[in-house]
Amino acid sequence: MVVDGFFIAGAVVCLLAALICVVAAVIKQPPNDITILSVAAVELFLLVYGIAAIVRQAGGEAVAGEVWEFWGYWITALLVPIAAFWWSILERTRWSNLILGAVGLTIFVMLVRMEQIWDGALAV
Amino acid sequence: MKAENSMTSPQETPAEPVETGSRSTGPGRLIVAVYGVFAISATARASYQIATKFTEAPVAYLLSAFAALVYILATVALAKKGVRWYWTSVVAISVELLGVVAVGLLSLLDPALLPEDTVWSGFGQGYGYIPLVLPLLGLWWLWRHRPRPERMR
Repeated sequence: MVVDGFFIAGAVVCLLAALICVVAAVIKQPPNDITILSVAAVELFLLVYGIAAIVRQAGGEAVAGEVWEFWGYWITALLVPIAAFWWSILERTRWSNLILGAVGLTIFVMLVRMEQIWDGALAV
Repeated sequence: MKAENSMTSPQETPAEPVETGSRSTGPGRLIVAVYGVFAISATARASYQIATKFTEAPVAYLLSAFAALVYILATVALAKKGVRWYWTSVVAISVELLGVVAVGLLSLLDPALLPEDTVWSGFGQGYGYIPLVLPLLGLWWLWRHRPRPERMR
């Protein structure tokens, strides 16, 4: 079973971001620079992942599953942190940090699916 | 005079219209967000199934599409203010609960009937059982924030 290095890096970023946001919510903090930057890090990773995927696919690397499905996931994933950021700062309570924390978990699950599509690995 | 005015003014303000807006604040915003994620993922999944392999299992895929519509309606209704949207969200989430329980039981009792997975198959086990927990949480939240009848004066 081959697991992509990008997937491992993304999983670490997502789960760290989720952990930071959940801890901030538990200690009753409203969204602050740290939690917002953690979500920005998830978005940044997705951009890097997407650009790398373009380069790898252009270089002839094979994708095990449907290529358009991979990009469907990627485009949807890009919108999630932005939507969550908007929804969380409209009302800045500690619950908003749990919304931001949900970004990391959601993107993590989407990365698992994207990894399944790319390598055919991680079959559940 | 001034002090007297400020003392009496709270009683002079008209009775609040039925207070239901509070259900989309605090924890309610998190519930809306989770419903939003399910609305997006269920819609994407149903569109994919119907676009690529509808003839393989039309019933299961139509059920996927129905689930997606229920999640979209629940998300919007939870986020909107007003009594009408309140009852819309109660209906949408009740349908969701019935759906996940019915489909969950069906997939246990007669797996051949729904060969392909939907969000609700196996009580939502493909989604960490969140589809089963979410409507219970949603209905509890709506009960906590049910519209109160206007106070008679």
